Formats: sequence, C-alpha cells, structure tokens
Amino acid sequence: MTQTVIKVQNVSLEYPRHRHLLSIFTSKMRKQKNNFQALENINIEIKKGEVIGIIGNNGCGKSTLLRIISGIIPPDSGECLVAGNISLLAGLGTGFSGHQTGRENAMLYGSILGYSESQMVEILPEIIEFSELGAFIEEPLRTYSAGMKARLGLAVASAIEPDILLIDEVLGVGDPNFKEKSTNRIMEMVKGAGTVVIVSHSFGMLAEVCDRVILMEKGRVHSIGIPKEIIRNYYDLE
Amino acid sequence: MTDDKPAINLLPVGQRSSSLSAPFSNILIAHEYKFLMKNLIGRTVRGRYRNSMLGYLWSVLEPLLLSIVYYFLFNMLAGNPDRLYGVWVLIGVIIWTSFGKTLSATITSLSANKGIINLIYFPRVIFPISLMFSNIVLSLMSCIVIFPILYAYGVEPSLYLLYIPAAVFLSGFLGIGLGMIFAPLNCVQKDVEHLFRFIVRAGFFFSPVMWTYEMALERGTFGSTLLTLNPMVTPITMARHGFAGHSTTLPTFSIVYCISFALIMWVVGSMIFNRYERQAVKYL
Repeated sequence: MTQTVIKVQNVSLEYPRHRHLLSIFTSKMRKQKNNFQALENINIEIKKGEVIGIIGNNGCGKSTLLRIISGIIPPDSGECLVAGNISLLAGLGTGFSGHQTGRENAMLYGSILGYSESQMVEILPEIIEFSELGAFIEEPLRTYSAGMKARLGLAVASAIEPDILLIDEVLGVGDPNFKEKSTNRIMEMVKGAGTVVIVSHSFGMLAEVCDRVILMEKGRVHSIGIPKEIIRNYYDLE
Repeated sequence: MTDDKPAINLLPVGQRSSSLSAPFSNILIAHEYKFLMKNLIGRTVRGRYRNSMLGYLWSVLEPLLLSIVYYFLFNMLAGNPDRLYGVWVLIGVIIWTSFGKTLSATITSLSANKGIINLIYFPRVIFPISLMFSNIVLSLMSCIVIFPILYAYGVEPSLYLLYIPAAVFLSGFLGIGLGMIFAPLNCVQKDVEHLFRFIVRAGFFFSPVMWTYEMALERGTFGSTLLTLNPMVTPITMARHGFAGHSTTLPTFSIVYCISFALIMWVVGSMIFNRYERQAVKYL
C-alpha cells in the first residue's frame, strides 16, 4: 500500500460576503446567512506518486482547495494533513517590482517562494538561461513585455523541487514560441515531483497525465475517478 | 501495514504557533527569514524614489523643504524663533516620518501584499517587520542631511549624535507595534486605514514636531500633560538633544514610559496579529 501524502478531512470553508459594518448588523438582526460557502465537507485522500487533476466551473472552489492544501487559508472546520514539503505554482511573477532589474526580481521572487540565499545564487545562471532574457536580465523589469515577465516568473518558480506540487492554471504562458517550452518544463516538473495536483481547464492534457480526476461542483466533490469518465461527467453537468 | 500507520508523518498544514509566545517567536521568525526580508526591504527602499530624477535625494529633500516651510510659518505666527528652530523641525519631521510611515505601512501590510499572501504561506509577520526596517533605512538616509547642518551651524559633533539613529529605531518600533494591532482589522474594514491616515496627520501636531519639549514646558498643565502622555515626545526630544551635543534633559520617567509603551504595543500587537492574520486573510 502506498503512503497517503495529502488527506483532506471534512474541510469546509466560508468566505465572508458582506464587507460593510452596517450589513454585519442588519444580517445579524435578520438572521440571514451572509457568507459564501466556498467548500463544503470535502474529503480527499491522495497517495504518493499520484497525479491528480481538479476540474469544475469557475467559482466551484478549485483554487480555494489548493490554497487550503498549501496552508494559505485555514479551513473553518475539518483538517488538512500533508506529508512532505509542498509548493503552489500559481500567479507567476507575483511580487515583482518594476523598478528592479530582472536579476534582482529573480532573487526577490525566489525568496518569496522560499529558496535560501545560497540556493538562489546556485540556480540563478540556470534561471537566466531558461528565461532567454540574455542581456535584458540587467534591465529594470518595467521595460519587459508581459511575455518576458512570465518567462522569468516560470524560470524561477519551476526550479523548485517539492515533494508535492500544486499547479493552478499556469500552463502555456508566454508567447507562442515559449508556450511549448513552458508546457514542457511544467510536464518535466510533474514527472519529477512525487505527487501533483493540477487545476486546469485543458482536459486533453489532464486526460493524458492524470491518474485520477476530481470534479467539483459548488464547493462539493461531485465525483472522483479515471480522467475520461470524470470529464464526461463534467459535460453531463450542464 | 495498518491503515493508521502511513498517517504518521502526515502533519496538519498551517499550524499556528501559540499567540502567547508571539512577541518572542516573531523575532526568531524575522531572523529565520532574513533572505526574504532583505529582498522585501530592497524592494520597498528602491521602489520609493526610483522613477524620479533626484532619486534618493528626495529622502533628504522632503524633510528639508518641510522644515523651511515651518520655519517661515513659525516666523509669521510667533515671530523670532530659536536660531536652531529650523533644525529642530527637520529632526522632528525625520523622527515623526519614521513613526508615521511605519505605522501606515504596517496597517496596510496585509492588504497591500494580497498577491503574495494568496500565493504562498510564510509567517505574515514578515511583512510588517520588513516594512518597519524599510522605513527605518529610509529615515536613516534622511539623517545624512544632519552632517552638513552641524557644520553650517558650527555645532561640534559628539557621540550624543547616536541619539538620532536610536530615536529613529525607537519611533519605528512604536509604529510597528501599534500598526500590528490593527493590520488584521484593516483586511475586514478598510476604514481603519483611512482613520489612521488621519491619526498620523493629527498626531504630527500633537507631537513635538513643529514645537519643542522646552516650548511645551512653558505652557502649563496642557503642555505638560501632552508631554507626559505622548510617547513620541521622547524619541524626538532625545534626537534634538543629541544634535545639540548634550545628554538628554528628559526626565527618566518619560524615557521609561516611552520604551515600555513601545514594548507593550509590540507584545499586544504581536499577539493580536498572529491570532487574527489567518482569519483576516480570507477577506482579502
């Protein structure tokens, strides 16, 4: 029996909906529910070495679930257990500062993602090479195109080698030339990482790489199973 | 292998350390995340004046210009100020800015870093601490202007000048503690941020920035009450005495009051921040 590395037990989460003082009082008076149920009683167990896909319509709680697993948001009830270090690949280039050079931003982004200084110094040449920025790496980031920023972001983020990799819709970034390279890089990461959870709308890719797929609907797990069946379920939903 | 066994190294994610130990653990966290802090401080400090021609010079120019304005204002209203009045205002502005900027930055520390917070988990206390150090660095850079002024006024530099960086640190530390109490609340209600912008502005007048400790002493009960209650009196006055090159004439009570005030704010702020930041992040 292989080891369970992610165990989500009875996890529920509500997002507060109203943000004004007055509405807090009025809703208390009317005993109205003023929260948005993002996740409701989720139970998932993921084994070591599995590649799991999560699909579902926008707002069904896919990204929220990844945030719970990576410890960004604590669940209101239930528990999430994880074995090994975990890394969320999302929003490439978050925290970049336009005033600093590409090199400085690579260091900044790397430190945000949890690299140590010595690790960063070691992998920096590799990052610069992969990002194909050449001499641009010494230019301030505000002079970069969106594609260049995405390349730098991916180059830094993909250097991580976590036990558990969570991917939230970051496939195929950059211009068409780089798209293939970036997809390949992420596929390499998927193969290299022990366990992977991918949130994506590219069903073709999911069917290819995933062992199991989870279909979510309105904060609940609709079904879990082999990719083809679950993707069919998704189309039956509508 | 039984069913329970594989769960041995399964650890719950996002465990929070006890908020009772927060005032101490936050210091250890800051040490542990030095590299991240260094980069975040670099981002803030380099970002502040980067798109301007005069760049860093603005950190010196801003308090300098402000003190010139107040010099003329004071001349017009009260007439004939102290020879060093302009310098007192300059020092007051620098020290007050260290406090005010740290306070406002700490209050918005969570909401301003929404992107990073939604990307990865690390102890969020890193944000206020790195912002405090950024503002201390910027204030220390402003302090450089004091050297040519010493020369211009023919004041002999002395070791008491060290009061000035000490005052920058103390006021920054006052700012972070107070700010951390309200930072989680600001995620829920943005009003906090607006309220504190006003408080920082009003506090400017209730602290000895445009006036001095000595002036307030001549104002009877109102002046002395203000001097006793306002913790910002100590750092600003200390820095001025440091410039003048003598040991501070502040009563020991004021210094003890200010330092304990800052420490209590840090303790309370750390506890509240660590207790509520995880919940507050949901509102971002």
